[in-house]
Amino acid sequence: MRKHRQRRNRLARTLVAAASAVSLSLLAGCVGEGVDLGPASSDRLVRAAIGGAPDQLDPHQTSSYFSFQVLENVYDTLVEPDENLQMQPALAESWDISEDQLTWTFHLREGVTFHDGSDFTAEDVVYSYTRIIDEELANAWRLATVEEVTATGEYTVEIGVSQPTPNLLTAIGGFKGMAIVSEDNAESGDIAQHPIGTGPFSFRDSRDGDYIWLESNPDYWGGAPAVDGVQFSYISEPTTAIAALRSGEVDWTDSVPPQQVEALSRDQAIALDTLVSTDYWYLAMNQDREPWSDERVRQAVAYAVDRDSIAQVVGYGTAVVNQLAIPETSPWYAAYDRYSLDPGQAQELMDEAGVSEASMDLMVSTDYPETVTAAQVIADNLAAIGIDVSIRTLDMATWLDDQDQGEFDALIMGWLGNLDPDDYYYAQHHSEGPSNAQGYANPDVDELLDAGRQELDEDRRRELYAEAATLIADDVSYLYLYNPSVIQAHAQRLTGYEMRSDRAVRFRDVNLEEDA
Amino acid sequence: MSQLAPGAGAASGPAPETGTPGSRRASAWRLLLSSPTGAAGLVVLAVLILAAVTARWLAPYGPNDIDVPNALAPPSGRNWLGTDELGRDVFSRVLLAAEVSLQVALVSVAIALVVGVTFGVIAGYAGGWLDLVVMRSADVLFAFPILLLALAIVAIQGPAISSVMIAIGVVYTPIFARVARASTLSLRQEPYVQAARTMGVPTWQILLRHILPGISGPVTVQTSISLAFAILSEAALSFLGLGVQPPNPSWGRMLFDAQGFLASAWWMAVFPGLAILVTVLAFNLVGDAVRDVLDPRQRSMIESRRKR
Repeated sequence: MRKHRQRRNRLARTLVAAASAVSLSLLAGCVGEGVDLGPASSDRLVRAAIGGAPDQLDPHQTSSYFSFQVLENVYDTLVEPDENLQMQPALAESWDISEDQLTWTFHLREGVTFHDGSDFTAEDVVYSYTRIIDEELANAWRLATVEEVTATGEYTVEIGVSQPTPNLLTAIGGFKGMAIVSEDNAESGDIAQHPIGTGPFSFRDSRDGDYIWLESNPDYWGGAPAVDGVQFSYISEPTTAIAALRSGEVDWTDSVPPQQVEALSRDQAIALDTLVSTDYWYLAMNQDREPWSDERVRQAVAYAVDRDSIAQVVGYGTAVVNQLAIPETSPWYAAYDRYSLDPGQAQELMDEAGVSEASMDLMVSTDYPETVTAAQVIADNLAAIGIDVSIRTLDMATWLDDQDQGEFDALIMGWLGNLDPDDYYYAQHHSEGPSNAQGYANPDVDELLDAGRQELDEDRRRELYAEAATLIADDVSYLYLYNPSVIQAHAQRLTGYEMRSDRAVRFRDVNLEEDA
Repeated sequence: MSQLAPGAGAASGPAPETGTPGSRRASAWRLLLSSPTGAAGLVVLAVLILAAVTARWLAPYGPNDIDVPNALAPPSGRNWLGTDELGRDVFSRVLLAAEVSLQVALVSVAIALVVGVTFGVIAGYAGGWLDLVVMRSADVLFAFPILLLALAIVAIQGPAISSVMIAIGVVYTPIFARVARASTLSLRQEPYVQAARTMGVPTWQILLRHILPGISGPVTVQTSISLAFAILSEAALSFLGLGVQPPNPSWGRMLFDAQGFLASAWWMAVFPGLAILVTVLAFNLVGDAVRDVLDPRQRSMIESRRKR
């Protein structure tokens, strides 16, 4: 997963060594534009409003959720997660694993063509993965154990790994950042503006800051979509997006203010869905600074924070309080409820640590308004145990910079689009983890996380991660706050749309009913 | 000539304006109060300033007392102006934000006034290349939309109340420079200034004793109007998240927070909005009245009306 909506790829690279899917920007704070319908709007064109413009359309380079909302419909991966986030065949029809677990053989689908008419073959897979690894692109870390990718036949690919890698399928199929691209398209550089994939829709046209227009791919291997195409327009202001949806200017949007969910769900003209997502939001304290290096102080903070209030004000009933990262809906969920709101206990821990008062520089981002809201509640909570919180609201680029420099006492942020438990914990809490900005180091946790990467038995693996997560939460490496919901709304005439907890937006199975 | 200069300078320089400052100001105050809109503006301002200064004692709740179960409560006996999305008392926050707003406005306009008038007077009096450089620089600053320039400055300095003050100060500096320069240009040709110059009064003394008092009228008017715009600018910057940092209250920030709740909690937007409206209106009314009083032509009209 990538850290939330970075808009600039340059920044992305610093973070990315993390876990699974997609960086996202539900409410990114850019200035809202009007809704321009762009291409001659036909009745059969799905008009989707997303929160902002993609920075670029190269799936291997971008880390913007806005880009992936579009690219989900343009590209394919070898395997892809179904609605339960289990990996299913896509461009690969089947696969075998060697006895020693070190060689994976993928049998590719035959007769698939790229949007430019060229055939999809094993060479494209080799090219795509080699590009990611050799150019050290944003997602190279996902293929860290991959030693070689070879085409053993026109439609057979072998992936050799250095150690058993039980989550290889998630690594290569978790999201469209691992898409199979066309070599010509990528080498010419056109891919950033004019991507060519094998997916259900092909890129037709775009206008900067205005729209992206996708056309149905009649030769799609999964069957041609029923609609003519999809047009993505950008509306950052949720209330504007909802107004556009109500007036029929757009058919679909994920720019929905949580406080309006209740009112909107009573609106007959709109279909609104909420689904607990695989994202989580957390507070992290800088363990290289006093007094946050003392785990008793961090635990005191964990006891003092009122998670229920935070979930209420950020989600209005759509966010689910969680003391670990993985939501209850995930097969990897582990129960944990050590911290209850207990100012008395918090005060005791502070006394034990010998800290009577402290000031906390808490860093949040205007691009994620939920962090600003949560920070205000936390500031109020912590005042009760003698911690004076000063909130610093930054734009995401500065926020990331300061995080990397360690210029903070504490920060609030979220990780989005996680699938495998390795996505949730490794990069953030392994002492060598690339996203361990808080400076956490616990040899026991390192050992468990390393073991989890290689464990093939699923039950045993679940136990390893549950154990690691418990230690992480006990030590308050991250102070987990809640899992938000995916909230999406669409017009009733748009049928067949399935909302997904990993926030992938797929329009291939939708249809538009004639207006009555 | 040059040897005579100090003595001559000290003895001379009977500028008409400085001669009778007390009497002039007194009558200006009286005239100001006699204008109904000016008096109304002044009264509102006085109340506002009093409220801002005593806000911390007047406010029934702390500005950051979060009470989530009581969030979004409509105006009632308990919370006169309702509560916001975190359950904070809107009345207390509006009141305390007045302190912040006025503080920002005063400091930023003071910066603009001091810097702008200094440069304007020097440029206007010196003329030549100095005038050219100073005023073209002011033109460059002017060419930027005000908010854009302020945004850039805050972006560089990082969001904080001090950056907002500096940003607004910088943005309004060229306006003061222009006003001061224009008035200086005409004063420079006045016989008493020419006379002082001929007698060798040092330049700094001419500027201080003859020019500055002479341009105080237009500058005063500009000050009161700029105060109004400074308050608007602060609200705009805070609305954009670059001004006063949460959780500290600010009218602009409160409006921003209210956006998502317009349909369900009108009080969150209406009261901070009203506060901005009333304050800006009051400063503008006072500014207009001051202009009428200090403009000689307008002034004689008012005076003749009163005599009748």
